[in-house]
Order: sequence, then structure tokens, then C-alpha cells
Amino acid sequence: MNGLEMTYPATRRSLPLWHMLSGSGKLALLILLLMAGVALAAPLLCRHSHRIASGPALAAPSLVHPMGTDELGVDLWAQIAYGARISLLVGAATALLAGVGGAAVGIVSGYQGGLADRLTMRLIDILLVLPDLPVMIVLAAFFGPSVTTIIVVLAAFSWTATARIIRSRVLILKERRYIKAAELYGAGTLYLLRRHFLPEIFPLAAVGMIRLAGRAIVAEAGLSFLGLGDPTSRSWGLIMHHALSFKGIYYTDFWKWWLVFPWLALTLVVTSLALLGRDLEKLADPRIGRS
Amino acid sequence: MEMKATEQNRRRFFDYLFTLFIVVSLNFALPRLMPGDPFLYLSGDHGEEIARFSTDQIDAYRHQYGLDKPWPAQYAASLFALLRGDLGYSIYYNKEVSTILLNRLPWTLLLVLSAVFFSTVIGCLLGSLSASFRGKALDRLLYPLMIAVAEIPAFLLGLMLLFFLAAGLRLFPLSGAMTHFAGTAGFWHTFVDIAHHAFLPVLTLTMVRTGAMYLLARNAMTTVLARDYVRTARAKGLSTARILARHSLRNAMVPIVTRVFLSLGGLVGGAILVENVFAYPGLGRLMRESVLVHDYPMIQGIFLLVTGAVLSANFLADCIYRRLDPRIGLSTEVQP
Repeated sequence: MNGLEMTYPATRRSLPLWHMLSGSGKLALLILLLMAGVALAAPLLCRHSHRIASGPALAAPSLVHPMGTDELGVDLWAQIAYGARISLLVGAATALLAGVGGAAVGIVSGYQGGLADRLTMRLIDILLVLPDLPVMIVLAAFFGPSVTTIIVVLAAFSWTATARIIRSRVLILKERRYIKAAELYGAGTLYLLRRHFLPEIFPLAAVGMIRLAGRAIVAEAGLSFLGLGDPTSRSWGLIMHHALSFKGIYYTDFWKWWLVFPWLALTLVVTSLALLGRDLEKLADPRIGRS
Repeated sequence: MEMKATEQNRRRFFDYLFTLFIVVSLNFALPRLMPGDPFLYLSGDHGEEIARFSTDQIDAYRHQYGLDKPWPAQYAASLFALLRGDLGYSIYYNKEVSTILLNRLPWTLLLVLSAVFFSTVIGCLLGSLSASFRGKALDRLLYPLMIAVAEIPAFLLGLMLLFFLAAGLRLFPLSGAMTHFAGTAGFWHTFVDIAHHAFLPVLTLTMVRTGAMYLLARNAMTTVLARDYVRTARAKGLSTARILARHSLRNAMVPIVTRVFLSLGGLVGGAILVENVFAYPGLGRLMRESVLVHDYPMIQGIFLLVTGAVLSANFLADCIYRRLDPRIGLSTEVQP
């Protein structure tokens, strides 16, 4: 990703995104769009409430409850549909926050250089060696689990990767002759940023954000799975947490729907994000695919 | 950027010391940043009937716990306690935090170290194979497979293995690190029992790490195999196995060894979650238990131990990296 040369054939850019994706990338995009659709249309798609019991406890999947019910008799399909909202919200919000923040930091420290740059790089070095999950657990344990806390903590820990990539890109770009020429003609910082830096940086930032979204969704699921999720909103990780807290769940058949369905939803979303990210990475930096 | 290795090491050492200082300070500050006052809702001792403490009583408690001192003094006191190895007293388990940590640590070490060992060996082996048969059928099969494996988060993979191998096929135990009340059936029996219990968690962590190790080894080997001295060795008529073992692997080791140490941070995070998937009695399991019962001293103790270990491993990686490859100056960053 240190991108020394990034030249696009003219046709490559004019093609719409869909045609540039590989087969797996298309499938991944479809799955993600489907999940987003489920999240948005959750009230229309679910017959039962995702909070109130609507049947016998621990019922196996049937026509009434397509994914069965949990220990309180709450419909699992409704919980998973509404849980998609939390996962996607956490993923999108963290990616946006950390991606935009990281890109801004990367641009400033790369373009300005000097003390600001040295301080940011030191800060990034420190954040890189800290194991993020233990820190997140401690912060969530002390400040109380809420979706906002999780998003802020995740973003605070994941902006560094984007910032580093963008910074090294800016460092290369600002030595380019056309940038120097523009500067000589009196182009201001904002003009350079808008006309020359942002178009080059945007694909990198977009790929970074897809990666961030995947990591954030996994991290949220992991924290909820440990019992540190927002108790007022049932995310996929929290459903698994409740299922695993059920004593002797594996000696019954309950795990076959109570654990498997949230697991499946999570795995689908995470794998799709990874596949899509890999495809976009190849597009942003064609050298990667040809290893 | 010419700088002596010792000087660089010292500078990196202070970097890590500073990071550790931040961690310790965070640990000190967090309980004090929480809303509320520890004595406001303090319940009475056994047999006492106290609805609310008087100001005098609260002051007495404050004095007893040293909370009446100004915070720099409290901070110094906590640092000294830390240096003595005193991590505080667990509210829930009613024991010294350090005692419980020492009890649980071996299980986590067992998982993490075995996973590091197996993933490194398997990853390097497959990576070297892939590099030497680059573009052939084996490489074309392994490469996408390993990329896919590298993308799966540890605890989701662990759950899948648990579903199929333990809950479905009943091949492995569902939880724990050894059979309870198994008695003393001899050393060998105990060993097999522990290995049987550790198999799935270790397999999960190994699979998750192998993908990354494979990609790294494949890259490093490809670079080395393109060098002139390898061509010379091949021209001398040496066998592929000998070229791989004697001429290439040793030179490809630099990034691999560094990565092994640098990956510990991520592996610890994975281990915390995977231990909970398999109800394995290590530090990760302990962390979840302590979080559920709000045992704050315990959570802080685990946090300090884990971050301290990861920071030390990273520092070691830095030192080893410089020693193995003297060309690396301070300006070059170690890629995580």
C-alpha cells in the first residue's frame, strides 16, 4: 500500500464500480446490500416483536418463528433483523469517524511535516503497540456499555492505519512535479487539496474504511459476546452471549438455532466486507492483485 | 540517520516505557473518572445496620484507603504498590489479584504459545512451498485459501469448530481445560486429557494466525529466491530442499521472527475471546467473569498484565529485528 506509482488506464475509471468487481466481490456487495435492506425494513419484515415474548420459550424454527425463539420466547428472526441495525450502525459510524479523522490527520501531518508530523507519528507508534481488545474491554467495563462508547473507543483505536497510509501517499504526492508546478502558479492549500490530493487519496481512504467497518463489526460483536454490549439493544454478539450463558446449552438442541443464526449473520457480513475490501484494494492499487 | 544500535534500542526502550506509563496512568485514572463516590453507597459490615454513613465515618474510610491524600500522592502510592507486585485485592474472589492471575496465566500461555508455534511452523512451511512452486497448481490452490483463512475472526471460527466438532460430532470436550475429579491416572493420562481439551482452542488460534504467517513467508521467500546466490546454488546442482533450508529460509527469517513477536498483541485479543468460546479457564475467561461481577481491581490487574506482556514482546521484536538485520536504521519503521 505504499503506492509508488498509481496510474490508471483512462478506461478503468470510467467504468462503473459494479463491472470492476470480481464474482466474489459482486456476491459480497449483494449480501451487504441485502443486510442493509433487512436492517432498514426490519419492522416490515418481522411479524413478531424483537423485545416481547411471542411464543413458547426455546421453540425450534417453524413457520411461525422462522429462526425459533430464545429463552424468553422472543422471536429470533426479529432479534437478528433488528440486530443488523446495530452491527451496521457500529460498522458505518466507526468507519466514517476513523476514516475521515485518519485521512485528515494523515493529510495534515504528511503535508505540513515538522513538529505536528513527528508528534502524530509518535502517537501512532504508541497506539499501534497497545493491544486494542483489552483496552476496549477496560474502557467499556468502566464507562458502561453503550453503542456510543463502543463506536468512539473503536474509532479512537482504528484511525491510525488510515492515517499512516494516507500520510505516506501525501508525502509522495507533494513531491510530484505537477503539484510543485501548481504551487508555483500560486495554488492555495485548499485548492491543491480539492483538485489534486483528494482525488488521489479518496480510493485509499475508501478501502481503508471498508476494512475499518469489518473490524469494527467484529470488535462490537466480540465485546457484546463478552457481555459488554449495550444491554438495551440486542446485537448479534449479545444474542450469542445470552445463548452461551445458558447452562448446558450444548446438551440440548437449542444451540442449533439460538447460536447458529446470529453466528451465521455475523460471519456473512464480516466475510462479505473482507471480500469487498480485497476487491477494492486491487482496484485502488493494481499491483496488489498481481503478486 | 547513522546511529548506533544500542542508542536506537535505548530510544525505543523509552518509547515503550512511555507507552507503559500511559497504560498505568489510564489504570489509575479510570476508577477516579467514573461517576459517583465509592463511599456514598457503601454498605455496612456484617451485622451492622447502617442506612447511611456519617461524614466522620466516610472520612475514616477515606483515610483508611488513602483517598484523602492529594492525587499525586495517591498516584505515587499506587506506583510503589505496583513495583512491589501488589495489584490489589479482588472484591469478588476475595483473594490477592496477583495470586489469581498466577493461577490462570499458565492456561493462557499454553494456548498462545502453542498457537504461535504451530502457526509459525505450518505457515512457514506452506509459504516456502508456495514460493518455490510459484504459479503452479499448489500455489494457486493455497494462496486464495490462506487469504480466506486470514480474514476470519478468531471467535467466529472457534464457534464454528465448537458447533461441528464438539457439539455436533462430540469429538472434543465442550468446555474446561481438564476433566474434573479425573484422579491421578498417571502423568501420561493427564497429558492426553489436557491436550484433548486444549486442541480446539489451539486449532482455532493457529488457523487464524497461519494465514498471515503464510502470506509473510511466501513474500519473504519469493524475494530471497530471486536473489543471485540462490541462482548460483541452483546452478551448482543443489537440491530444492537444500536450497530452501540452507540458503533461503535463513535469510527469509528476519520478517518472520519479527512478525511472530509483533503478532502477540492481536493473538492475545483473539485468545481472550476464544477462551470464552470454549470456556477455557485462562485470563480471558477470568476477564469476562470479572466484568460480569464488576470486579474492578481484577479487571485492572488482567489489563496491566496483558498490556505489559504485549509491550515487552513488541520491544523484543524491535531488538531482534535490529540484531538480525543491521541495515535497518531508526528511520525505517517496523511494519506490524
